[in-house]
Amino acid sequence: MLSASSLIAHATNLDLVVRHVLAGLGHGIHAGRERGAGVEFSEYRAYAPGDEWRRVDWKLLARADRYYVREAERDSHVAVWLVLDATASMAEPSRTIEGLTKLQYARVLLACVAAIAQRQGDAFGLVVCRGERADFTPAGRGPRQLQRVLARLNGVDAGGVLPGADTLRASLHFSRAPGVVCVASDFLDWPSPLSDALLRLRRMRHDVRALCLHTQAEVEAAFDTAPSYRDPEHGDVFYRFGSDVRDTYARNRAAHFDEVVRACRKNDLPLVQACIEQAPGEVLRAWLRAHIAGVRGA
Amino acid sequence: MSQMSLWWWALPVVLLPILWHRQKREQTKTALLASARFLPAAEPKMQRVWRWHDVVLMLLRCLLLATLIALLADLVLAWRGDTVLVVPGTPAAVVDREAAQRITLADRDAVTWLHAHEREFERNARLVVVGDAVMPAVLPRFRHAVALRTSAMPVAPAERHVAVFSDRADAWRRLFAAAEGPWHIVVDAVPGPRTDLVVWDRPDAPPAGLGGRLWHADGGPPRDADRARALFAAWQRQFLGPLPYTAPAQTLAPDAAAPAGPASGALRHWLGLALVVLFALERIVTHVRRR
Repeated sequence: MLSASSLIAHATNLDLVVRHVLAGLGHGIHAGRERGAGVEFSEYRAYAPGDEWRRVDWKLLARADRYYVREAERDSHVAVWLVLDATASMAEPSRTIEGLTKLQYARVLLACVAAIAQRQGDAFGLVVCRGERADFTPAGRGPRQLQRVLARLNGVDAGGVLPGADTLRASLHFSRAPGVVCVASDFLDWPSPLSDALLRLRRMRHDVRALCLHTQAEVEAAFDTAPSYRDPEHGDVFYRFGSDVRDTYARNRAAHFDEVVRACRKNDLPLVQACIEQAPGEVLRAWLRAHIAGVRGA
Repeated sequence: MSQMSLWWWALPVVLLPILWHRQKREQTKTALLASARFLPAAEPKMQRVWRWHDVVLMLLRCLLLATLIALLADLVLAWRGDTVLVVPGTPAAVVDREAAQRITLADRDAVTWLHAHEREFERNARLVVVGDAVMPAVLPRFRHAVALRTSAMPVAPAERHVAVFSDRADAWRRLFAAAEGPWHIVVDAVPGPRTDLVVWDRPDAPPAGLGGRLWHADGGPPRDADRARALFAAWQRQFLGPLPYTAPAQTLAPDAAAPAGPASGALRHWLGLALVVLFALERIVTHVRRR
């Protein structure tokens, strides 16, 4: 049987992969709220044409001889926001598994989260950061929303750089309502507008869960020495990999991600680091439980 | 080969523009690496491909260098075929017997001219020298077959003016009148501008300011024929130099080992002109390309 990562690399049907990953993984994102106990009363408001008749409080009509409508708190179910970093650097392929990229892996995990949220009856929305834009799919519930989000995830290809701070602030207007924010990124840019936005959301008491994706080759600092390398996002500078710079690479990379981990820990933001060659089910479980375990390393 | 100029060894310099004008290409084999920022930056590897930019300019520069080298090496092209070398003064009837290209020499010294210009002749060119060519001191060696069809020409006696200051002027006149060969001596009473020789046969010292060459003659004119001949010979040796003999008619066999004469510089003028033109063109094209 194919390993789950290989499956991600070769499968085109995101729905199938999600089912495969989620098989036997029925854990939720957050502690479920008791539902169906009715909406909590908030206030009365004068009737306005267009209001549903069934929302008119008849007893109050009998007492006051006026039409009042019962205003209730909206469903307070937690909204799950899926934030996908689809910048050019997320196209980084696994150098061991043919056809597998960070973006594919991230999209599968986010699809899994969306499926879980849908099963729990939570609303979920999607923000795709790519090409200096943040494409926003409004939150919603139900199977059709899941299909919408899966289709959106399926259509994403990596390109461009992260959106600016202003764009992100405008896109993350959902931050007024409490929610779970699941971010999948490579966090190679840190600090970045995205990281600032995440920390800001965390300070606003949102449940932010970050997934930092690596590849096995990055962890082991093992790349092909033959070609010149270019950074997909930053200019036309050329880089060379060889045994002489391997230690430098490992040192720089470790320093960078140490900084990322330190910032996350300081802001109480659970961060899960994972290699895309790892089984997605385990990574998903680790990610969803990260808020229990605190900040964990891969 | 031994006679080739060493400048020809500089000919590989022409390759330099060809190398300089090769197109540069960035190394096409670049891969994207998301975490490349953790690597030290390196110079992009440039590949030169076997394609050229500014081909016109490159050709101009190559030509320029080649022309310069040819000029320095004093390129001589063997472009003359069978030729008749005509010594000036040769009767037309003699010249017309030879059916080949004619070159009229500047003077009688055909052998020296031929030495200087021998590289201009094709390998199998046959050379004929007609006229009253001068006989060289040693038998000349040429790489070509050279036929000397020489014939002495009667020389019109040259007039030489002599002024005699002597008590025995009659005796001197008789002596000069008896002169043979290319001599025709006119005795003037007083030295003029055309006077070659002034004979001073007086006991007192000659006054300053006598024109021509002054010749002290102690003891008067010679009295017998041998002495007179010796006197003329001395005159000729001292003032006119030896008279060249006419080279004997003969055919000189080609001698492959004969040393090639010095470069003639026959193309030097044209090469220099081409150099100037090419340089100007090169500058113009470079300037146009920069804009």
